[in-house]
Parts: sequence; C-alpha cells; structure tokens
Amino acid sequence: MIKRIFVEKKEFEVEAKSLTHTFQRILKIEKLESMRILYRYDVEGVADGLFDQIIGTILSEPNVDQVFQGALQIMDDQKIFGISYLPGQYDQHGDSAIQCIQIVSGERALVKVAKIVVLTGALTQNEFDSIKHYMINPVDSQEASLEPFVTLVDEVREPEDIKPLDGFIALNADQLEAFRMDNGFAMTTEDIQFVQNYFNKDEKRNPTITELKVIDTYWSDHCRHTTFLTQIKQVRFQGDDPISQAMKLAYDDYCQTRTELYGENSERPMSLMDLAVIGTKALKKQGRILDLDESEEINACSISIVVDHDGIDEEWLLMFKNETHNHPTEIEPFGGAATCLGGAIRDPLSGRSYVYQAMRVTGAWDPRAAIEDTLPGKLPQRKISTEAAHGYSSYGNQIGLATGQVTEVYDPGFLAKRMEVGAVIAAAPKENVIRERPTPGDVILLVGGRTGRDGCGGATGSSKAHTEESILESGAEVQKGNPVEERKIQRLFRSKKLANLIKRCNDFGAGGVSVAIGELADSLEIDLDKVPKKYRSQRCGYFYYHGAC
Amino acid sequence: MATFITMGHAENLEITPVAIVTDSGRLIMKWRGAEVLNISRAFLETNGAPQFIDVAVESPIEINSSIKTADQGPINDEQFDFINMMTETLKDLNVASQRGMVEMFDSTIGAGTVAMPYGGKNALSPMDGMVAKIPMIHGDTTTCSMMSFGYNPVIAKNSPFLGGMMGVLESLSKLVAMGGDYKKARLSFQEYFERLGKEPVKWGRPFAALLGAHQVQAAMGTPAIGGKDSMSGTFGELTVPPTLISFAVATSHVDAVITSELKSTESLVQLFTLPLDKNGIPELTVVKAVYDIIIKANQEGKILSAKTIGYGGLAEAVAKMAFGNGIGVTLNDRIDPAFLFKPLYGSILVESFEIIEGSTPIGKTNDTGEIVYGSDAITIDELVEVWEAPLRSVYPEKAETTGAVETLSFKATPIVYKKEKQATPQVFIPVFPGTNCEYDSAKAFENAGAKSVTTIFRNQSAHDISHSIDEMAAHIRASQMIMIPGGFSAGDQPNGSGKFIASVFRNPKMMDAVMDLLNNRDGLVLGICNGFQALIKLGLVPNGEICAITEEMPTLTFNTIGRHVSTIPMTRISSKLSPWLANTSVGDIHRMPMSHGEGRFVASDEVLKTLIENGQIATQYVDFNGEATLDGRFNPNGSVFAVEGITSVDGRVLGKMGHSERIGKNLYKNIPGNMDQQIFKAGVNYFK
Repeated sequence: MIKRIFVEKKEFEVEAKSLTHTFQRILKIEKLESMRILYRYDVEGVADGLFDQIIGTILSEPNVDQVFQGALQIMDDQKIFGISYLPGQYDQHGDSAIQCIQIVSGERALVKVAKIVVLTGALTQNEFDSIKHYMINPVDSQEASLEPFVTLVDEVREPEDIKPLDGFIALNADQLEAFRMDNGFAMTTEDIQFVQNYFNKDEKRNPTITELKVIDTYWSDHCRHTTFLTQIKQVRFQGDDPISQAMKLAYDDYCQTRTELYGENSERPMSLMDLAVIGTKALKKQGRILDLDESEEINACSISIVVDHDGIDEEWLLMFKNETHNHPTEIEPFGGAATCLGGAIRDPLSGRSYVYQAMRVTGAWDPRAAIEDTLPGKLPQRKISTEAAHGYSSYGNQIGLATGQVTEVYDPGFLAKRMEVGAVIAAAPKENVIRERPTPGDVILLVGGRTGRDGCGGATGSSKAHTEESILESGAEVQKGNPVEERKIQRLFRSKKLANLIKRCNDFGAGGVSVAIGELADSLEIDLDKVPKKYRSQRCGYFYYHGAC
Repeated sequence: MATFITMGHAENLEITPVAIVTDSGRLIMKWRGAEVLNISRAFLETNGAPQFIDVAVESPIEINSSIKTADQGPINDEQFDFINMMTETLKDLNVASQRGMVEMFDSTIGAGTVAMPYGGKNALSPMDGMVAKIPMIHGDTTTCSMMSFGYNPVIAKNSPFLGGMMGVLESLSKLVAMGGDYKKARLSFQEYFERLGKEPVKWGRPFAALLGAHQVQAAMGTPAIGGKDSMSGTFGELTVPPTLISFAVATSHVDAVITSELKSTESLVQLFTLPLDKNGIPELTVVKAVYDIIIKANQEGKILSAKTIGYGGLAEAVAKMAFGNGIGVTLNDRIDPAFLFKPLYGSILVESFEIIEGSTPIGKTNDTGEIVYGSDAITIDELVEVWEAPLRSVYPEKAETTGAVETLSFKATPIVYKKEKQATPQVFIPVFPGTNCEYDSAKAFENAGAKSVTTIFRNQSAHDISHSIDEMAAHIRASQMIMIPGGFSAGDQPNGSGKFIASVFRNPKMMDAVMDLLNNRDGLVLGICNGFQALIKLGLVPNGEICAITEEMPTLTFNTIGRHVSTIPMTRISSKLSPWLANTSVGDIHRMPMSHGEGRFVASDEVLKTLIENGQIATQYVDFNGEATLDGRFNPNGSVFAVEGITSVDGRVLGKMGHSERIGKNLYKNIPGNMDQQIFKAGVNYFK
C-alpha cells in the first residue's frame, strides 16, 4: 500500500517567494500572482500507526509545515506540475527519509520524493512552459507524473553479456570512421585506426566494446592531456612589434633551456606540456627548488615544509591542486560546480593529506543580462552563476572545508563557456605518507562513495566538441559528488596508522573504474563482479590501493 | 588488509577488495567470470597515435603600457570629475562587491582561518588571497599557508604572452601584499582556451601564454610544479578568453601576515609600482627589488596594511582598503588625476607610519571617513553603497530587514552542580553522516580540560544502525556532557536541518540515556549550529526534554536572505541562566563566527514572552552600539527578537547558532573584537 502526502511550509517559504520574484521580474511573467512549492512523499511498506508518527517527525515539522493527505486541491486559475530526479540519480532527500524511518522504527520503507509546483495566475501555455523549463534541468531531473504510483520498486534491467565486436578488425577506413562517429568516441580518426591496427596485429582478435570505451577514456584529453602532448613541429612569430620581439627572446630562452636540459639535437618533442613543465626542470637542475616532493604517484603539487607544532619543528608535506569543471557547470551548474570542488579535494586526499582550505575562481558574463537575450541552447548567465555558487558552496560547507577566497571574473568571452575553477590546499605530517611501488600480489581496495548512476562518461564528455544540443545529449554525463562520503574518507586518511597501510592511491574521478584502478599499477586483474553494484556503471568514488597484508 | 577494512568500517565506509596486482604487463577486467578487457599496458601508454602541429604566434592587438582593465569613463583634464570617476570605477562589474556571493561559503570551519575574506570592523576590505594555519588535530602552530591567484582576461585577450606574465606576477604580488615571500612561492597553473583544432594561430595563444609564464618563473625562481588544462572553451563562433590562471602558494609565520584594511587614522598610504617598460612588458629584475623592499619593511614591522592594485587602479585599491574600518584617505594633491585611475596592475599599495624608501606617497589616512582629493570629498558610506549596488540583484549581501528590538538583560545566577565532583568531566560528541564540526568542538573541549569522546554514527546496514545507537547510548551514560556539533547531517535531509540527528535521539534507548543525564545526573547539553537545530527539533530547547513538537513551539528555519550565510557578526550575552555562560557577564559582546542556511529563530509573541521572562534567551545579535537589532547587516539570518541562542528553563541545555568553538590564537586577524565566550571552560568548571 503506497501512502501519499504533500508537505508545504506554512509561512517561511523562502524558495517560492524568491522564485515568484524571479519569474515576475526576470522572466517578465507578470500574470503570475503567486506560487506554492510542496514536497510530495510516496511511502511504501509502513503500517498506519508508524506512518502517522513519521509524518510529524520525519516528513514534516508541525511548527513549520502543513500536511495534505491524499490529493491536492487545485483551483481553476492554477496550474500544477511536478519535478523528480531521473531514474538512477541519487536522491539524498528520499534516501535520508528512508534512513530516518529505519532509525526510529527499525523498519525499511521505500520513499519517493517529488517537488510539486502550483502556479496561480492567468498564464499562457508558453509562460507555463518557460517556468517549467527554468525549473526542470533535463540533465538530472524530469517532469514527474501526478498520477499515483503502482509500485515504488525500481525496475532493474540486467545488462547483457559483453561479446567481441564481430568484424571490427576487418572494417575498411570509411566503415571504421562511421563506426567511430556512431559510437560517439572522443578519439580521433588516427587513434581508432591505431587501435584497429593493434587488435589486428598484436591481439589478432576483435575487441569488446568495453575495451574500446576504456581506451577512449584513457586517451581522452581530460585524462591524458592529448592537446598538451601534441608535438610541436614548427614555431613562427607573425609580427615584428616590440612584444613579438620579446616573445622571440623568450622563445630563444626556452630553446636554450631545452638544450641545457636535454642536450644538443635531442629527440624530445616540443609541446605545450614541455613548455609548461620546463621551468621546474630547469630550476631543479640549478638546485633552486629543494622543497619539491616528487614521486611516481601523481596526486597533487606537493612540497616539503617545516611546521611549528607547539614550539617543535616538524616535517610536513603541503599539497595543492586546481581543477576545472567548465563544461559540466555550463550545463548543470549546481552539480558541475559542486563536483569541481569534490574533484579538486580528491587529489590531495588520495595523497593522504588533509584538505583544509579552498579557493574558487570563476568566469562568467554579466549575470544581470536579460534572460530573453540568452543564447539558444544555453542557460542564462544568472542561472549558471548563482546555481554554481550554490553548488560549490554547498559542497564545501557540507564537507567542512573553509573557503578563503571566491572571485568571479566577468568577460563576454565566457558566454562561450563558463569557467569554474577550484583550488584546494592540504597538509599532512610527512611520516603519514608512504609511497611504494606496487608488487605482484598486492590487493586493491575500493573505499566509499555512493552516488548512483550519474557520472558515466564524464571524462570523454568534456573533451568532445560542443554545440547547441549539448544540454540534452550530454544528459547522463554529469557527475555528482557526495560530500558526506568524501568527508568520511578525509577522516579515515587523517589517521597515520591507516595512511601508513597505503602504498599508492588514486582517486576515482572522471575516468572511472578503468582509469582509477588502471593507473595504480602496470599489470592488474580487476574483478568487476566484486565492485559493489552501485559503482558499476558510474564514475565517482575512490579506488585506493594498498599492499597485501 | 583486515586492519584497513576494520578502520574503514569504523568510519562508516564500505571497503571492498576489487583487484590484484600481477606481473603480466596487461590490464585485465573480468565480468561474470569472462574477460571483457585484456590489453597490453605498453599499448595503452602510447596515448594513441602521436599528433603533430605547427604553431603561429600572433602580434598583440594593441601595444600600450596603459590598457584599461576597468570601465571608468574618460579622463579629461578640463572637466575632470574626481567623484564621478571614483563612483564609475567602483561600479565596474569587475570591481564591484561580490560579498553577497562570497558569504555563501563557510570561511571559518576548521578554526584555522587567519584572515577573513573581508576584513575590518565592517568586514568590507577584501583580502588579496587566503591564509590559514596548518591544520592540527592536537596542539597549535604558528605556521600558515597562503594562496593567491593572478589572472586578467583584458590583458590576456590583448596579448596572451603578457597575460601569462601578468598572471604569474599578480599572484606573486598578492603573496607579497599578504606578507609572504615570493621566493618561497610554488605555482600551479590553470589553462583554459578555445578548442585548438588544427589551426596554428589558435595554438599560438596557449603557447604564448605559457612562454610568458615561463619567463617569469625563470626570472623569479618560482616554478610551476603542477597544472591543469581545459581546451574546450568554444561554442560555435564564441571562444573563452585565452586564460592562464596562476595560483601561488607559500608558507609563512602567522605574525608576518598583512591584511588589507587600513588600521590607523594617522598613517601614510604609499605605492610600490610594478615596473613596466614603454610597451607594457614587466621589468622582472626591478620587480624583484620592489618585492624585496616590501618584505624587508614587513620584517621590520613597518607595514600596517597592504593591497595589490587590480582592475580599477589606485582609486579602487584605496577605496577597498578604506572600507573595512571606515578610515578615510586624503589623497596627495600633487598626484596627477590621470595617475589615480591609471592601470597599475600588480602594483602594491601599503599603509605605514613612515615613508618606506622606494615608494610613491599617495596620501594620508584621516578620521573623517572620507576619500578626499583637493576640494573634492566623498564619504566611505556613499562609496560602499555604490560598490555594493551593481551585483545586489544577483548576490544580495544582506536581507532587507530593519527595526529595533529590546536589548535584553536578565539577572540570574547559573544553576550549581550538586552531584559528585568530576576532575576531568567527559563530553560525548556524536558524529553523524554530514557532521563536520567535531574536530573543532573536541579540540575546544580538550583545551578547556575535558575528556572528549567522539563516536561515528554508522548506517551502512540495519545492524550498523542498531549497534551505533547502543554504543552512543552507552557513551552518554558514561559522560557528563553531550555536545551536538555543527554540520549538515544527511545533507540537511529529509528537507530540514537537524532532522536526521533528531531521529537518532528519538530512538527510545537514546532518549532514555539523555533524560537520565539531565534529570538524574545534572548533566549539561550543548548544541551549536546543526546541533542547535537538532535540540530545538527534539524539544530539548526550550522545554528541557525530548518531546513531541507542537504547532506553538519555536523553531529554526531558512535565513531570510534565502541562502547560506558565513560572517562574524556580534552577539551580546542577555542572560547568564546557563552554566555554559558562567564565565561571561550580561552585556558582554563577542564576535561570533556564523555559518548556516537555517539559523532564523522564529517563535510566537507568546512563546517569546515566556522565554524572556524565564531568562531563556541567552544571546542576541547586536549592532555597533550593542543594541539588539533586526537589521540584516548585523542579524544575519533575520531571527525574531535578534535571538542567537536559547536555553532550557534551568539553563543546562544551551543551543546557539554561533560557532563558539572556532576560536584560537592568530585567527581572523582582520576582524577586531573578542571572540572567546569561554563556554567550554565554564562547562568543565561546572562539574568541579
């Protein structure tokens, strides 16, 4: 038996008031008189007595909320719609309700939550649609049916077995290119030919789709900086103005440094990556950066520092890391920005250091611009900026990370795409961090993280060319972080005893299972059946490695 | 492995062995017993087919050492209007206040923040970067880290090369302005460019930016030891600015930290110019010398405050330094008006009692609260309004609430403990999924002489839940105090903060243990922030017992401003009924770190009347005159009657929104005032 109630704030409804204001003033829907926002709870598997008890403690608060049982009364001049998460998106609201019921009663119920919006005023269908459009982000949500549920049990479809792709190695160049396009791979034409050649010559068999997708993810710009590693054959300066002359001198310096570091006639290719890292290499050779903490394990920038601890000097590691989440924030600002911070934290965290402060630098164009001037296929700057600020702050506030500086830079160029950059700083006593090379027989452990299905293909998603259709097509490609889980790992890794058990550790970011585990050691055997089901098709969480013991 | 798994479970984490390391040189994945992936590592490591490109570097759009980065209107000698130029500068989108956005972010958790994002008694002078003490679970440190960033899209769009140079220099200037040493700086870059495709000219932009950044690294001896790139900033014909953000990090001693708000009304404001040649290219060897002078002056204790110059030139920097404490500046008449509004990107403005060699005198501070230039003067209050207005409709900085309420002073002596004395009383601190103030709370209690016991509430299985409840109930029975710390239990779900915690405490075993502590053992209960929300949702405040919530009871709800608020407002002790407040006096005012989304106390007039009569209103939000107020500038959440904290009738249960535990030496150096209410000490002494 499914029981349904609607819960509405009595007088402290901040959200409905502020949205009414937004629609009247920003969307210029002047006929909108008022709106109500209610939460609809459908509960299955609790007896009547318990249901009455949880209504007044868990589902509502008698001094704040009013409760409507059964159906909602709608007037003639009112319009109604509902919003719920897409199937598979983690819903913390519903999950917490389930847990609270279990805590007070021991009963495991099923709960589904939807947000119900009631609009009063003589709205046209167009106006009604534009309000819906503003409130429902198709990336993670859908319009909820207003009909009663038959069951709250989610239908689970078992995926089919994975078989080799018959005929792949025999495809001709045109067929191969068509195959690449059809599957939405991020890799280039040359790359897929390279892959076909590998399976033809070395493996002498057809690949599975899993293999192609893993390779695609591995080689994506997000995971492997393909752009930054592109080999530069020739450099030309087009002008002869004073600044071009200064650039030429700087270029000569760079070439000189290359010769000093790599020797004359070095085969080492010039690339953006080389130019980005050569400063450190040169200064290191000159003995000018003695505090650099280098290792095979790359989690974050890391330096050795001396820290005063109650008057005694101790050796610590200071780690810092910056991260962008531009594309995800552009299409789903709240989740995209939240995960920007989550991702930045994960790197130094997997380096076994405690993240204690964050910075945020974003780029937008004028958030005061009229909504009707929004480019087709884009969200309004106001919505992106404000919701991203909510997303990033909500993640940081929840995980308990002090944010020390937040700056939004305004430039019309960011209409092309938002800039969402997070940077974090972390520290740990040096004795906490042990780094060793993995050896055969070592076990890889997966730690924490429960987010649902969101986040599939996050890495390749942000490396593909984007056009107007991005919002709809990329729907499933936004990752959602979970600050509550990440904080548990922060606590766990702050323990020296635990940290000392880890030889090497990697975070489970946009690259997912394949990259996170795959990067830990050269030779690995991964048993996907052991990966808890909730991680299998998503890409957030953590893989931590440690030695057999 | 067993130790790892056990320790993980204790932290409420799921831990699963999923793979083993082999020596085959291959990455293998098995699913349903069959290999679905088996590829050679060597192949994966190729990173695909090698890609090749030619690079063509363009000339800058304009060659000029004074390209404006803010919209200030033209400078015309004939009709130069100082006040108009000042206000136009402060209105520029990249100069205007972003405080309404910044204060959505918790800036005090961890009790390690050395400088707040906005400083001064008015909390209006923006810092150039962030500074925090190195985090310690036990003990204290004088070592802090500093981080800053440098990036200006206007400069970068004109010349990505100069954009790269200036990005790095700006990040270093900011470190120096915060009292750091640029020579210790380590950098990390964030590149963000258009999709490069196969066009050499597009590749020339990141190449030029990195070339500029490399030159500064080499000259200053400050390496970029990491970075991240995103090369997808294209949408149709639109492209993002050629972006290279330089993040600079260094450590320092907390005593060396400089904050940005003017501190004296009798000091001199001076400029250290970042030297550029006639083409706008920084002269790097001279830059070093300038930085070294500032570092030396700081070591000699000569610098009171400092700030780098950003988009809006000297005018912007002077105003922002003035806002914090409302200290005005009388600008030197002899300064060319054009110079006041000239872009001096990356230069540093310094306040000192004496002239520091190598600086340009800009003006003197004054006590009239005005920015004065010749015969023109404008008040800081007017300028603040101009500066805060542009983004107010997007990021409101305060709720539009006003009005005065009665400032309460209740005479009472706290209840005295009559049971067996405790040399080291024990406090139980439960940690729920989403709790995040337990480290700070435990440390505050330990520093006050208590023994603290923290327990994680585990909910991975039905067994975990019942086991956690048993464990927590047992700890309560062995403790004298319960402290429910702040955080976002279960992410403030289901739709209400503190509900998850309240559900746990409504479990019969927990309820019995709590009521035994209060009724039979004269124990104390404290709830801060999320803990206060839980206490009020249980009825422990104001009723002193866990009871059913009725329609009439007071509660905490969403802040009137409709968002999270992180600030350090002032609260005043209005009643000493609670033993927790035994070390304060009625009328004491404290600056109190706040960070919450649902801190608005609401109650009916009738309930308020009873609470006032009983002395149960412990603290109120007050203004600079010490008077309770509804003004959104001082009462950050819109609480009725300006209530910040309340107690049970006998005072032994205290709930408050302000984070009394986020205290320590060398914190919040740019916020004047006393912060220590000694509530932890008072709680411990109650049992002695």
